[in-house]
Amino acid sequence: MNHVAHALMGAASALVPTPSLARLPTFCAALALLASLLPAASAAPDDPVLQAMREEMERSKSQLKLDNVAATYYVEYRVIDADQYSAEASFGALRTDVRSRFRFLRAVVRIGDYKQDSYPSSGEGVSDFMPLDDDMLALRHQLWLAADRAYKAAAQSLTAKQAQLKQFTVDQPVDDFAHAAPVQSIGPLAKLDFDPRPWTRMLQDASALYRNDAQIEAFEASLRVAVTNRYFVNSEGTVVRSGQSLYEINVSGSTQAADGMRLDRSDGSAVSGIKAFPSPQEFIARGAELAATLKKLRDAPVTEEEYRGPVLFSANAAASVFADLVGENVLGGTPGLGRNVRTTGAFAASYKSRVLPDFLSVTDDPTISAFRGQELLGYYEVDDEGVPAQKVSVIEHGTLVNYLIGRGPIRGFPASNGHGRAAIPTNPPGPSLGNLIVRSAQPISQEELRKRLIELCRQHELPYGYFVETLGPRLTPRLFYRVWAKDGHQELVRGAIFGDLDTRALRGGLVAAGDDVYVENRSLNIPHSIVAPSILFDELEVKRATTNKDKLPEYPAP
Amino acid sequence: MQRELQRAQTDLGKLDPAPYFLSYSVYDQHVAIVIGSEGSLVNSTQAGLRTAGVTMRIGTPALDNAHEENRNSAIGSGMLPLTDDPDAIAHELWRLTYDEYRKASRAYLNVKTDTQVHAEEEDTSPDFSQERPQNHVDYSDSGPVPDGKALEQFVRQYSAPFRKYPYIYSSAVVITGQQTRLHFVSSEGSRVVAPGSIIRVVIQAETRAEDGMDLMRVETFQAESLPHLPAESEIAARVEAMAFDLKALRAAPLAEPFDGPALLSGRSAGVFFHEVLGHRLEGHRQRGAQEGQTFTKKIGQLILPEFLSVTDDPTLRTLNGMDLGGWYEYDDEGMPATRVEVVKDGVLKSFLMSRMPIRGFGNSNGHGRAQAGLMPTGRQGNLIVTSSRTVKDSELRQKLLDEVRKQGKPYGLYFDDIQGGFTLTQRSTPQAFQVLPVLVWRIYADGRPDELVRGVDIVGTPLAALNRILVTGEKMAVFNGMCGAESGQVPVAAAAPAMLFSEIEVQKRAGSSDRPPILPPPGVQQ
Repeated sequence: MNHVAHALMGAASALVPTPSLARLPTFCAALALLASLLPAASAAPDDPVLQAMREEMERSKSQLKLDNVAATYYVEYRVIDADQYSAEASFGALRTDVRSRFRFLRAVVRIGDYKQDSYPSSGEGVSDFMPLDDDMLALRHQLWLAADRAYKAAAQSLTAKQAQLKQFTVDQPVDDFAHAAPVQSIGPLAKLDFDPRPWTRMLQDASALYRNDAQIEAFEASLRVAVTNRYFVNSEGTVVRSGQSLYEINVSGSTQAADGMRLDRSDGSAVSGIKAFPSPQEFIARGAELAATLKKLRDAPVTEEEYRGPVLFSANAAASVFADLVGENVLGGTPGLGRNVRTTGAFAASYKSRVLPDFLSVTDDPTISAFRGQELLGYYEVDDEGVPAQKVSVIEHGTLVNYLIGRGPIRGFPASNGHGRAAIPTNPPGPSLGNLIVRSAQPISQEELRKRLIELCRQHELPYGYFVETLGPRLTPRLFYRVWAKDGHQELVRGAIFGDLDTRALRGGLVAAGDDVYVENRSLNIPHSIVAPSILFDELEVKRATTNKDKLPEYPAP
Repeated sequence: MQRELQRAQTDLGKLDPAPYFLSYSVYDQHVAIVIGSEGSLVNSTQAGLRTAGVTMRIGTPALDNAHEENRNSAIGSGMLPLTDDPDAIAHELWRLTYDEYRKASRAYLNVKTDTQVHAEEEDTSPDFSQERPQNHVDYSDSGPVPDGKALEQFVRQYSAPFRKYPYIYSSAVVITGQQTRLHFVSSEGSRVVAPGSIIRVVIQAETRAEDGMDLMRVETFQAESLPHLPAESEIAARVEAMAFDLKALRAAPLAEPFDGPALLSGRSAGVFFHEVLGHRLEGHRQRGAQEGQTFTKKIGQLILPEFLSVTDDPTLRTLNGMDLGGWYEYDDEGMPATRVEVVKDGVLKSFLMSRMPIRGFGNSNGHGRAQAGLMPTGRQGNLIVTSSRTVKDSELRQKLLDEVRKQGKPYGLYFDDIQGGFTLTQRSTPQAFQVLPVLVWRIYADGRPDELVRGVDIVGTPLAALNRILVTGEKMAVFNGMCGAESGQVPVAAAAPAMLFSEIEVQKRAGSSDRPPILPPPGVQQ
């Protein structure tokens, strides 16, 4: 039953300073962005945000205590200062154009000890806004209130947790919090300073490309520039400040085939510096290419109902596969209270087991900022729990040998390996990818991979195999081709999904990897990169998508 | 807009089922939201927005896709380009229109099936009223585009004084400015362009009593533009008064449940009428099967004391020199705002009507309002309560004491200020309301000094409460606020004189039990 209350309020119903504008889903914009880095030395000693955090830390550490409640054993403050610009153009005209700046804080107070403490649930910390002006008292005021609330919440959380733990038998107890050495690292602040006008022009020009094709139903170009300064101070003596810039640009479109099938394409880049951005000419060329592939897809035949046989993935498509099927599963997430498993992912029971063919190895290395000359977005020096970034070898010759973890220990892995990262503005940190790099010990040329694909077709007595160039969300093929065994020519098809592309297929069906490499920079939530070669499966199931087909528009576009 | 409307009308008209009504509403808005606390800026966002609503009616005015709970199927909304690019705007409207056609035609099928399955409804009025097309084009601005820098300066200035008071734990000044231009075209041939603007300031400060009760003071100011706000000195004085009140509230005793005589200030009485009467006179609430319909069959009957009359007049821009929040020229269905006499000399005369007819009321009276992109319903604008049984405001206190003594009570209550309220009108919930006062005094019969109490909520049922008004003051006071309901947030005003009630029921407010902060605020000596 839908109860409706009619309220007349004089008061602001919520003071959270995130009007919907700050959360626009996609962003876009244009050409004179200059993110300049201030010299490191100038800001550190008298940085008012850091100073406010230190001063309040001193008070919280020594004085935050109620009678009959344990004192804190660990306190941390994290502040995010973000300055963002976003713009989006649709059908040749600007639809959004927003600059927003915000500061948020997160305070965590832990009661108990490293073995057993008040984290997480209500002890996971308290988030709130922070003033934008560098006014010491106003900054400290918010930290003071947050720490007070976090301490009281932690006290309640610890009691509740102890009561809950009495219900379980724990086979091998694991500590709640890993010890870590204090770190001091004051990096330069990043600054957003730019003129959006030329950029918005470019977005409008790119999104105007719909004009060439009357059957395009949506065509958008977007840009987002996000400059984020992070501050971290904890009661163990760690003080970290770092600044990052992120530039994202994207063009996307959608159309419908004559039978109603919806066809979407999008093409984007995410880089850390304006210099690595595509030029307006390049970007518009990409848009034109995207519009052209939409038309080709519309005219392409629908895939057959079922196919079982070899499939070749481009390095681009392979990067998506590794991100979803390996990246997600090598994160050492802490299992829920009382659950006797090692971690949360599909590899929870795979430690020291084979998860990939033996010619593949995987490392995660956030300490490098480029790979074969291409920029990596997953570079950082210190993670969001104040632990220095480390290169971690997770899969060696196909065998899982490690997990990526932060300061939440899992069975057999008591210490952080510098992968505790948090999404802005105020999410709690957790195990996250940096730069996930897949390497093959037996790289094969592109030509050779194609030959193998055709050989496999002949072995299976199939007239053609499949080649996937790009994947969309949930590993759904977007640009997908038949490769004919008789002469090797490619034919674009649409409407396919994979039936059994899973961790089992990766372990048992992946037979070769290329000598090429694709760097996929992912900016969503926590910036990271996936580096992968093209890969060949000897047998995968390809099915016709059963999603409902929409009707075509009832009347033509203007 | 007109070109696309015509194309859609022609092309969709060939389909089965075909729409019989189509309209586009486009809201061009400049919006600024600025928040400050402790003398510092916390957030500042300025943006241009252009929102489009596509309204479509399929079937016949007697029975269409908007029938009963399918009402929301008659509108679809989305964002339009900010630049005046006719091709891009046409494309977006096209997309919204065929999407809306799908939603509306699906709903129309459901409606047809439902009406065959269900018993005949109590109110068999049509679903859509017949109205004359409107032609009114006014490209003037009713106020300036909000100036971000000026608003930032404002929030810094008025949030700083709270720093002086260590017992005020958290405080904020929120200012929102909005300049709007409504463009409306319909297949009936209406063409309306009308301006609107609003500046709204909310100043909020909180403390916590030693027993854990959170205490809040809120001051709001609402006007068409910054220069229309009260003078700097007046706002500054109100900020100081908030700090003073909070200190007094922390020390004040807890209120006890009470049922007895009470005096409501004009602003409190305004909110009381908005909640208790105004929401129940909204037209669409008279026919939904889920609605409580307190007043539906009371037209021509006495529902208030004979000395009270109530109008809702959105055409009124100011009252006693104060801007009224519920002013507009055209409602969100493109109908001209009109003054509606809802209660005359205690007798119910009319309802607040959108284009959704109800028994006995076949037409809109310009009260179809909505937040941009939502489906309009009958809503309040400026609700104005007037009285013919008045005494001088200075004599009201004595009248209260007389009533207290007559009833043999030790004290009566004086409700000085109020932060808002809410009400439930549906059948599945009790027909109740709650008003949230912040400053309530006990006025003792034995001559003891007045005593501030904390933690009071007014509760009760509407019919009973309205008939306990004995007499009113003369001076009209205005409460400007944002009102939320099915069709979203709309600015409204409620104006009334102070009122003496023979009986008001209050309950203790539910409260937290968290202690005040352990450490003193930064910068304060322990």
